[in-house]
Amino acid sequence: MQPNDVAVNIPEVIQQIPLNYYLIFSTALFVIGIIGVLTRRNAIIIFMSIELMLNAVNTLLIAFSSYRSDPTGQVFVFFIMAVAAAEVSVGLAIIVMIYRNIRTIDVGVLNKLKW
Amino acid sequence: MTFQTYDCLQMLPIILLSLSGIALLFLGFQKSRALLLPATLLFLVIAFVANFLDWGKTYMYFRDMLLVNNLAMIFTGVVLLSTFMVVSLSGSLADDEDAQPAEYYAILLFSLVGAIMMIGFENLIMLFVGVEILSVAMYILTGSDKRNLRSNEAALKYFLMGAFATGILLFGIALLYGATGSFVLSGIGNYAHSATNAGGSMLLFYVGMFMLLIGMLFKVSAAPFHFWTPDVYDGAPSLFTAYMSTVVKTAGFAALLRILSVSFSGVYDFWWVAMAVVTVLTLLIGNITAVYQASFKRMMAYSSISHAGYLLIGLVGLSQASKPAIAFYSLAYSLSTIAAFGVLMLVARNRPLNAAVFGDQTTLARTDEHYDAFNGLARKNPLLGFVMAVSMLSLAGIPLTAGFWGKFMVFSAAADRGAVWLLVVAVLMSAVGIYYYFRVVIAMYFREGQTDTIRVAPFYRIVLIAATVLTLALGLLPNLFQGLI
Amino acid sequence: MNQFNTFLASFKNLTTAGYLFYGLGLITLISAISVVTAKNPIHSVLALIFTFFCLTGHYMLLNAQFLAIVNIIVYAGAIMVLFLFAIMFLNLKEEDEEAKTNVTKMAAVIVGGVLMVLLLSIFNYAPVGTYNPASFDAKTGLVERLGIVLYSDYILPFELASILFLVAMVGAVMLGKREAGDPHF
Repeated sequence: MQPNDVAVNIPEVIQQIPLNYYLIFSTALFVIGIIGVLTRRNAIIIFMSIELMLNAVNTLLIAFSSYRSDPTGQVFVFFIMAVAAAEVSVGLAIIVMIYRNIRTIDVGVLNKLKW
Repeated sequence: MTFQTYDCLQMLPIILLSLSGIALLFLGFQKSRALLLPATLLFLVIAFVANFLDWGKTYMYFRDMLLVNNLAMIFTGVVLLSTFMVVSLSGSLADDEDAQPAEYYAILLFSLVGAIMMIGFENLIMLFVGVEILSVAMYILTGSDKRNLRSNEAALKYFLMGAFATGILLFGIALLYGATGSFVLSGIGNYAHSATNAGGSMLLFYVGMFMLLIGMLFKVSAAPFHFWTPDVYDGAPSLFTAYMSTVVKTAGFAALLRILSVSFSGVYDFWWVAMAVVTVLTLLIGNITAVYQASFKRMMAYSSISHAGYLLIGLVGLSQASKPAIAFYSLAYSLSTIAAFGVLMLVARNRPLNAAVFGDQTTLARTDEHYDAFNGLARKNPLLGFVMAVSMLSLAGIPLTAGFWGKFMVFSAAADRGAVWLLVVAVLMSAVGIYYYFRVVIAMYFREGQTDTIRVAPFYRIVLIAATVLTLALGLLPNLFQGLI
Repeated sequence: MNQFNTFLASFKNLTTAGYLFYGLGLITLISAISVVTAKNPIHSVLALIFTFFCLTGHYMLLNAQFLAIVNIIVYAGAIMVLFLFAIMFLNLKEEDEEAKTNVTKMAAVIVGGVLMVLLLSIFNYAPVGTYNPASFDAKTGLVERLGIVLYSDYILPFELASILFLVAMVGAVMLGKREAGDPHF
């Protein structure tokens, strides 16, 4: 294969954007998720912020994997997605169970019940 | 690809546990619950035997996914033994209208698969899936007392904190992958060795390593990532608190031991200070806060934090000697913790506090788990008093019990590294520990109380006695166990 | 400043895909921030779904076509519908969210900001390497490559993930099930 043909196959983003930018982008996404976990009190929104954190990880893994042509990183993302789905089902079941009992999912109200 | 037959044979504990979990779910269709407990115990015994079939051999399975060696078998054995004891203390579930024992037992067995994955993982993906299986099972069991608001609250807190910790763990794994290009432990270890020698910038590696460690320290409840522990351990049903504070902790430390010794031993100089600080914080917070607790169960939660601190000492003094030390400590700690919870469940069962009504229908049913519940226990129930006393002595690390040798081995592993100041803190904190562990002993033997004779099922009694005898036997003859590794 | 100038110079030479990265990245971050700040939980969910679609765009740009599709099906399709369903089910309204005290909020934002600055300044200097034109494989993200790796090297975790689903299924049914005497919502 000619070097030129190879270059044609490489996605333009990978040719033009340094890998560092993806690192910075996913870090920003990750930290936004952390801030959400720390500031919100609605259990579902805290949970959605955690999903944001997981997606930041996915983006980072896919970027590393694509830049290095190593499929294992993308396989890991596949696992993260599967596990996230399982976690969501259990988490929402817990939230529904609590709502059934006390008619709110405000984390602050639950704190007041501490002994 | 082809599977060699030995590949599948060595996976026996995992296969057996998964299959028996499914079998238990089907057994749950039956009206009678009498069969569930014996069936679970039988499955656990079979898995325990199958685990030790390959004693003395070392295998790496499924393209560098799972390592099985003597150390992994010992940790698996400890985990299976703890589960056996916890399950055998659950006889009262069969009479509880609201309980769903078939599901509980099945989830316990499935969660053991996760624990085994954490003990023997060679690829970070196995660690991740294992941690998740164990954690998701624990979120469910924590909330299994559905009508009890404390259990609900504990489940939600555990879930949110656990998922948050998983996120941090995963970001660490992603950064490690970015730095090393590999998820395999030995691959990461090779990178650490060669990059340290080459002197290049390892910023990405270090940040990833610390995030991974923070995620794992969350799971084993080391300070300052312990804040969820007291509420969760206090709110969960006692049976599952016993499981959480033994099996989850053992598996977590086995995983930490593996990743630190295989992947990060090349950068020991870089992480040991941070780990030592975490250790000191854990010891201080765990022991000093435990003194101020009025509830025995909450004290046991802080006690489990402080024991995480002692186990961390074994990790800070990472060497060949710390592997058997941590295994022995986990065994000693699990035996006494389960015995203590066994007595607590008996004492608390007949002592419901006033149920409070919240909203329109939920009751805050709660049993009396305070120190006062133990007043005068030993007079009418000498056996329960003795079991509790021995486990408290063992947790406090008094000589002639297993706990003493556990502490001794962990401390000597750290002493070899010259971390003397760490040991000074640890010994001082053990002295603090004696104070709060002895409060129970004093309440049982020297306080007046109106305790009736508590009826103990024969099998329950045998398990409590066995735990006590094992604790004493390991205390008198620690070489019994040491010779194995 | 020097760094900024080189950045500016490279920015002028970008093709469409390069501009797409910046555009999509900016939109992703903005919608992620609105997930965290929205008062109404339903707005949060919608913003999160939008974030997932933007991320799918990123995966497409990175040539990870399979995961891009899976991201839509699993995240935007299944997980977010579950969230939306739970929110509708529980009938959450804006009023339900009382604000945390401003002090804790400020503290959390400051902690997050410090973390962000710290990580970004570290990663700015971290050598992460770049692609290797000689050995680059444009088909990495296709089903074929991923399938081979998943069903050979990663067969064990793949099989054991089924245990996780079993646990989650049993647990979700056990916890979410209506017991006798519970309200019908």
